[in-house]
Amino acid sequence: QGSMATKKLRRAKLSQELCERLSRYHITTCQDFLCLSLLELMKVTGQSYRNVQKLLQKVSLACAPKMQTAYEMKVRRSVNPSAAFLPTSLHGLDKVLHGGIPCGSLTELTSPPGCGKTQFCITMSVLATLPVSMGGLDGAVIYIDTESAFSAERLIEIAGNRFPTYFDSDEKLFCMTCNVHLYRELTCDSVLKRIQSLEEEIISKKIKLIIIDSVASVVRKEFDTKLQGNLAERSNFLARGASLLKYLAEEFSIPVSYSFLSFCFTVSNNKIQE
Amino acid sequence: MQRDVGSLPLSPALRARLLSAGFQTAQELLETGPCGLSKEIGISKEEALEALQVVRQECGCDAAKTAGGSGTARKCTALELLEEEQAQGFIITFCSALDNILGGGVQLTKITEICGAPGVGKTQLCMQLAVDVQIPECFGGVAGEAVFIDTEGSFMVDRVADIAAACVQHCQLIAEAHQEEDHLKALETFSLESILSHIYYFRCRDYIELLAQVYLLPDFISEHSKVRLVVIDGIAFPFRHDFEDLSLRTRLLNGLAQQLIIIANDHKSAVVLTNQMTTRFGQSQSMLVPALGESWGHAATVRVIFHWDNTQRLATLYKSPSQKESTIPYNITVSISFGMEIFHLVRSSNCEIMNWSYSCSVSIEVVSQDFTYILQPQGFRDVQPPPLTQNAEGTEMNPRKRPRREEEK
Repeated sequence: QGSMATKKLRRAKLSQELCERLSRYHITTCQDFLCLSLLELMKVTGQSYRNVQKLLQKVSLACAPKMQTAYEMKVRRSVNPSAAFLPTSLHGLDKVLHGGIPCGSLTELTSPPGCGKTQFCITMSVLATLPVSMGGLDGAVIYIDTESAFSAERLIEIAGNRFPTYFDSDEKLFCMTCNVHLYRELTCDSVLKRIQSLEEEIISKKIKLIIIDSVASVVRKEFDTKLQGNLAERSNFLARGASLLKYLAEEFSIPVSYSFLSFCFTVSNNKIQE
Repeated sequence: MQRDVGSLPLSPALRARLLSAGFQTAQELLETGPCGLSKEIGISKEEALEALQVVRQECGCDAAKTAGGSGTARKCTALELLEEEQAQGFIITFCSALDNILGGGVQLTKITEICGAPGVGKTQLCMQLAVDVQIPECFGGVAGEAVFIDTEGSFMVDRVADIAAACVQHCQLIAEAHQEEDHLKALETFSLESILSHIYYFRCRDYIELLAQVYLLPDFISEHSKVRLVVIDGIAFPFRHDFEDLSLRTRLLNGLAQQLIIIANDHKSAVVLTNQMTTRFGQSQSMLVPALGESWGHAATVRVIFHWDNTQRLATLYKSPSQKESTIPYNITVSISFGMEIFHLVRSSNCEIMNWSYSCSVSIEVVSQDFTYILQPQGFRDVQPPPLTQNAEGTEMNPRKRPRREEEK
């Protein structure tokens, strides 16, 4: 997902000749190139130490991120302050969080069972669909449910009870439910695949929030940590999932929240106005 | 001049040709000249000339070394090094206990590694250092600039702005007390805006972007010669997943370490890395150790581990060439005047899937229906300090808990 690693070398402005030569050694991407030692590079390119260093510069330039100063980042944020948070409507919580669930990063919600995480997530789903004037994000929600705990009836109930003046007609409620996209994923693998597919969904469906309800349950089902071998696999799954979600959260500036025991990912997409 | 042909930095094919033609020393190559060389080994004159230039450059350096000249900048006597070390600047952290165990602060020309569990304050310290490196010399700082390489996305610009504002205020207080000319002059250019403008931020999403950025760093720092701090926040994160080939990982990390050491020395900069903790299974128990394996432990000169003891944050100096191992408590406080923040956050040890917690910026834990904790591991936000009234039982009641008010339900 948006990875620089898989960028092909010919897009790194290396000569056609060199790319062909390297492809004979199965070196076609920037990742392949940068993982080799200097000696190996000299061998496969057939060039001197100094030239290889110049090539490394070129390939690095193609992969390296763009520099921004902290000042530029601050200016960008202040241009669009309402895009920074999704208020939770719990005043004490919003106050401590300086506005609400932050957009552009992951939020984790944990608790023992029965405390209300799923209810919180369902409420956040409603909030995300509300217009900006009401503190919402005026967008759609992706709700990844691993425990089949999501209830559409409850969604409507919460919406009707919390915002009776806004949801004053069946039509309005119906409209809101169309904006909550529910995915039931029951294994770690399918959760990961789902996260991988989200980039296009976010753009096409104007997603402003992503929720994963219960990362822990699906992980615990599959990885028994008493077995040592599983720890590495589990860490791998979590790390990959986390980095994918972070990429999505940052790229689209949406809050992603997940609950631990009952994973709630609230991912709001908040596209930064250019 | 007696340099062996096999050791010259020429392309392998060329070296092979030279050796099979019978050339043994660099001297022989230089004596032959480009035309002779091209005829003898069957390469073009241009290639021969290029090869000779490479050889000459290599041997030029050698000649200087053998002549016992001042040579490259990397050779000196211990006395010269001592003088350099004593003159060396430190970047203060504003936590005097932490500065003390480090011997004055984070040292320039060295690599300092900060390890710790999520939420303990590693990114906080990095952000603090990115501001503190810019403190003007008349206030005891090194008047440098900072490069901030972020692999986890935990950099919070609003927080850095808070820290910067507090730092400026701190310097203003000093200037008011001392009323010296150079203090006031320095304050003219030491402002929130200038501090933020001199933090150069790079967001690296995977290990390839990190490798690429570190390759390009020496050039960047040459163009921005005032840089005195390079932070890599999250050296472990990009290497902890999708790496089946552990020997490749070790090799890449070693390469990174070497490049960072060179940057630290050549540019007289401090390099600060943050690392995660991982579980190591012992015979009967498991313990938390810094991630990335044992060989990585050799990379940093100074290693500090941030950890918890109940609700108190502690910093342990784990490895240092000159200071003894010691542990001090520290706080990250919300304080308008001094920029150090008090974290009254408790990272629950029940957070079983810790790896995941490293990734999130905000963590909200609902402990029971009556109390709410707010945990914010990486995205530091100002939290209201707990009520000052201590409970009679002392440690029984956690000061972080606050009853949920009715209106929140």
